[in-house]
Amino acid sequence: MARKPKRDLTLEEQLARGPIDLPFLMLVLLLVGIGLVMLFSASYATAYYDSSVGNDPLYYFKRQALFAAGGLGIMYVVSKINYQTLRALSFPLLGGSIFLLLLIYTPFGVTINGVTRWLNVFLVAGPTFQPSEIAKVAVIIFFAARLSKRDTEKKKKFTRRTSWGRFLNFLEKIGFLELVPYGVVLLIVLVLVVFEPHMSGTILIMVGAASVLFVSGINLGWFIGLGSIAVLGLAVIIRFTDYMTRKMNLWLDPWSYPQEGGYQIIQSLLSIASGGLLGKGLGNSIQKFNYLPEPENDMIFSIVVEELGLLGGGLVLLLFAMLILRGYWLALHARDKFGTLMVVGITTLLAAQVFLNIGVVTNLIPNTGISLPFFSYGGTALMIQLAQMGVILSVSRQIPAPKKD
Amino acid sequence: MTDRYDRQERRSAAPTQTRGTHSKRSIFRRTVLMMVVCGVLMFIPLGWKLWDIAIVHHDEYQLKASNQQTLDMAVSASRGNIYDRNGNVMAMSATVYNLILSPNDLVKSVPTEDEEGNELSDSLYEAAISAKQEQVKRDLMALIPTLDEEKLDTQVHATKYSYREVKTNIEEEDAEAIREYISENKTSAYLYLIPSTKRYYPYSSLASQALGFVNAEGGAYGIEAWYDDLLEGTAGRVVTTKTGNGVEMFNTYSEYIDAQDGYDVTLTIDATIQSYLEKAIEEGIQDYAVQNGAFGIAMNPKTGEILAIASSPDFDPNNYSLISDEILNASIDTNAETIYQQLKANNTENLTDEELRSQARGQAYNQAVMAQWRSKAVNDTYEPGSTFKAIVLSMALEEGLVDESDTFTCTGGVKVEGYPNIIRCSKRDGHGTQTLAEAVQHSCNPAFIAIGQRLGVERFYEYFQAFGYTEMTGVDLPSEAEGINWGSSMTNVDLAVASFGQRFTTTPIQQITAFSAVINGGKLMQPYIVKSVTDQNGNVIQNTEPTLVRQVVSEQTSRRATAILESVVSEPKGSGHNAYQAGYRIGGKTGSSETGDRSRIIVSFIGFAPADDPELVVLLAFDKPEQTYEGSNWSTTGVYISGGNMSAKTAGPMLANMLDYLGIEKEYTAEESAAVDVSAPKVTGMTVDQAEDALKEKNLSYRTMGSGDTVTSQIPTAGASVPGGSTVILYLGDTKPAETGTVPDVTGLSYEAAKTRLENAGFFMRAAGVSTYYTNTTTADSQSIPGGETAAIGTVVDVQFFNMVEDGAVAVD
Repeated sequence: MARKPKRDLTLEEQLARGPIDLPFLMLVLLLVGIGLVMLFSASYATAYYDSSVGNDPLYYFKRQALFAAGGLGIMYVVSKINYQTLRALSFPLLGGSIFLLLLIYTPFGVTINGVTRWLNVFLVAGPTFQPSEIAKVAVIIFFAARLSKRDTEKKKKFTRRTSWGRFLNFLEKIGFLELVPYGVVLLIVLVLVVFEPHMSGTILIMVGAASVLFVSGINLGWFIGLGSIAVLGLAVIIRFTDYMTRKMNLWLDPWSYPQEGGYQIIQSLLSIASGGLLGKGLGNSIQKFNYLPEPENDMIFSIVVEELGLLGGGLVLLLFAMLILRGYWLALHARDKFGTLMVVGITTLLAAQVFLNIGVVTNLIPNTGISLPFFSYGGTALMIQLAQMGVILSVSRQIPAPKKD
Repeated sequence: MTDRYDRQERRSAAPTQTRGTHSKRSIFRRTVLMMVVCGVLMFIPLGWKLWDIAIVHHDEYQLKASNQQTLDMAVSASRGNIYDRNGNVMAMSATVYNLILSPNDLVKSVPTEDEEGNELSDSLYEAAISAKQEQVKRDLMALIPTLDEEKLDTQVHATKYSYREVKTNIEEEDAEAIREYISENKTSAYLYLIPSTKRYYPYSSLASQALGFVNAEGGAYGIEAWYDDLLEGTAGRVVTTKTGNGVEMFNTYSEYIDAQDGYDVTLTIDATIQSYLEKAIEEGIQDYAVQNGAFGIAMNPKTGEILAIASSPDFDPNNYSLISDEILNASIDTNAETIYQQLKANNTENLTDEELRSQARGQAYNQAVMAQWRSKAVNDTYEPGSTFKAIVLSMALEEGLVDESDTFTCTGGVKVEGYPNIIRCSKRDGHGTQTLAEAVQHSCNPAFIAIGQRLGVERFYEYFQAFGYTEMTGVDLPSEAEGINWGSSMTNVDLAVASFGQRFTTTPIQQITAFSAVINGGKLMQPYIVKSVTDQNGNVIQNTEPTLVRQVVSEQTSRRATAILESVVSEPKGSGHNAYQAGYRIGGKTGSSETGDRSRIIVSFIGFAPADDPELVVLLAFDKPEQTYEGSNWSTTGVYISGGNMSAKTAGPMLANMLDYLGIEKEYTAEESAAVDVSAPKVTGMTVDQAEDALKEKNLSYRTMGSGDTVTSQIPTAGASVPGGSTVILYLGDTKPAETGTVPDVTGLSYEAAKTRLENAGFFMRAAGVSTYYTNTTTADSQSIPGGETAAIGTVVDVQFFNMVEDGAVAVD
């Protein structure tokens, strides 16, 4: 891409070339770096004892490092894209992700452990690509693009002569009609994801969509109402399905189920506890030697605390908190509503993942199976995560510089 | 939908209201709210939870974690060796290997996919599995041909299991090939060696009951059991972390506590003396058709050191469960039948016939195997019989109640007050009037009853206690038995029969210990079998010094008693004369003990040498020589059943061997030295007169063959060794000696007759046994070259002489 001289640029283009938000970038790089180191430490024992990966202790690390490098490249490229183009791209993006989700129900879908969440993709070795990862962002971008136009969207008026018209007017008044398109899109996506089945994906898509809707100014009543219905429904499900009841019991008292189900969480707690304040030192975890299941994946934070202690774990949490705060800060300062909403959605998605993952490893919440961004092993997930960061950085470029006196 | 909105919009003329009024402010507010919730509030419960786990519950969870992570392995200590007194290894430990097969992992090792990564069909997969199983089976059979193929087949196909011992106790040299196979074929996932230790007993069955053996729980029986604590050492520990799979992780958390190897134990046992003793036992069992085994002890009477201790039937501690004794094996069948009948009569659990039989067989086998592990010399008791007379003799001498000039008259039986029947002597028609020494030589019961009466119950019992019969000897071997006696309720009748050693029991070790006190100067010593205990560097940990329990009788008494006991062997009339060996001053006392079972007599002999300063005392007993009929005095092998005819006779050559080995010099009496071997002088070429002189010088006589003046050849040839007093054949003139001749049978002949017959046939006789002091009952018992065989003329034939003595058991009805 030949670089055009500045004078030839349109205003839009000039804005898109603005300076990237350095604090945010630094936080992302720090987390990716620490994440890689911890991934190596957490995974080498598993890899070493696993003959299916050739007993290569570097197996996970090498792959993750490759994806991290690729992901950082993608992040850079995405940050260079003028995010305004995403407004137009939001439709094809959503359509594409729905298409990919549909593909899962075709022979392209890969079933692992009885669930079909992956696609066999061409450039990526192995079935590591989850279309729901794309769907999460697509929904956020689509919602952000559409909701950013709220101000210019006129309220619909219907004839008062027919009762139907009066009913529609009422629906418009309480803001229901406005929500219909979002509801339909969300429903389609969620149904596709739920039947994979993929609970954690469903939750994250809902959280991301809800955050955009919430910030865009949708009436709080809807959140309260739908939220209450959701809580009620969940309570019923928990009460009346054995699977969920069991899951709750495991959460409330994992120690009573040391073999069936409680094992993973018990091992996670033991890892964290053996870390203590200062930890055993980098690389010295014992729990990763086949005690803690999937130490390189969902449970990586337990190993972080075991090796680096409460202090190290706290530092990682602090970095995440700073990244999240900076994300919202960027959202507040974004040039337009679209940018704000998109950044809020992506940041909230990240925050939710962090909360749900660490909540699970500390047994604060029931096990949902959500990986920790930048840390957990998973190539495409990391790349998509970094692409999302690229979107935020792209938004950050167009933040008007503070006026100098 | 859009169309409809548009239409409606067009229709409505009212001022438009956007959906997102005041949106900018609300977006700002709500974003800030999100910021606070997701950036700050959200982290509070996470932080609190982390704190709670990592700090508050740190100790509790840490303990749980280290419990699951810690691997506490025992490091086995190597068991100490057992040496005989000369440092010969009697027991040692060595590393061996067990070959373990995991049939389950063998199946898992078969790939479920072919080379191109396609999943195999079920039938193909199963075929691949059974091919692999067959392969492993074939390889193992080739590797270890001694394996039981059928058993191996079952093991390979026990696919549910992951631990099957294919072979145990594989020695290093065999393990090498297996190890190579494992690494070449990469079988370690399902076929591997694990180290183990095995106890070796280089002398196999020698001193087996004394040594005992080691089973899974440690030392069982014998010294292995008694000194188990010292021998086994202290196991070390490795405390280290392990992975979730249980594999040891080597890291800085590891803690090693070294294993403390077991101590070595040196016995007082002398392997050579032990083997002489066991050989004698074996011979005796053969010669006298002994049914119930035998036992023997050799001891240093001065110190109480046990030089040899044996018991038959014995076993090989290398393979302690195997019963090799024929009589014992035969007993399993008969006992199993008896037990089976009992079980059948009392079958409360309604077992099938087959189950009952196998149960009975199991019990019978257990009885037999326990019997062979038993050290009769320590674990069993018997009535000492006449060997006890030596102790009674010393009591009476010590008390001054008898002396050498006393005479006793035996009429063949005696009546004791309080007992209705006559107590008989072994010689039914009586020994007549005899001196004290003769009474002992004859083992005369009426004489000893009289001596016992002189002692009286109280004094007798005091001495009985003093000689250690009422307590255990304290020998360092397990399960020492305790004899049964009358205690304070002893009556006069008890005393009468006790005077000749009946109606109380003692252990053989107790008996020989008490006997030693009689001959060693009156000192009751504590017998012991472990000389010293040393650590792996040779430092002495424990050294056993002889322990004097008490002085029982005076040295003077001991000397007098010893002199009388010597005459038991040295006098041709003595009951122990069959133990006589030319050149050694052997003393002793025979015994034939009743057991309450008329068909079972225990014949025994306690002998010692040299009589002037005993260095060795030996007890040799045979339990139940087979009688020709119940109550018969004769064994099925034609030997009169008594200690003198059996034990003493077997003990004689054994004593000679032992004394020889111990380096005790032979001292011949004039009579004895006459029969000592001389080398024949060269007399060929001499005249008969000259030859006669030369032969006389060597204590040889001669006879001539042929006619002439000069000796042309001689038998034996010059330099050959022949017993003194032999008759040399001188060939005169042209007469040539025959090359070979037929050896005549001389068994059953008297000394003179045997000698003459052999010499007439051109052979020489070297007499052994009771040959020097022979009586008219002395007969040749066996000869080294059996009669009828052809041998070179001039060969010296060893002839064993034997003296028939009547010292059999006396039934006290």
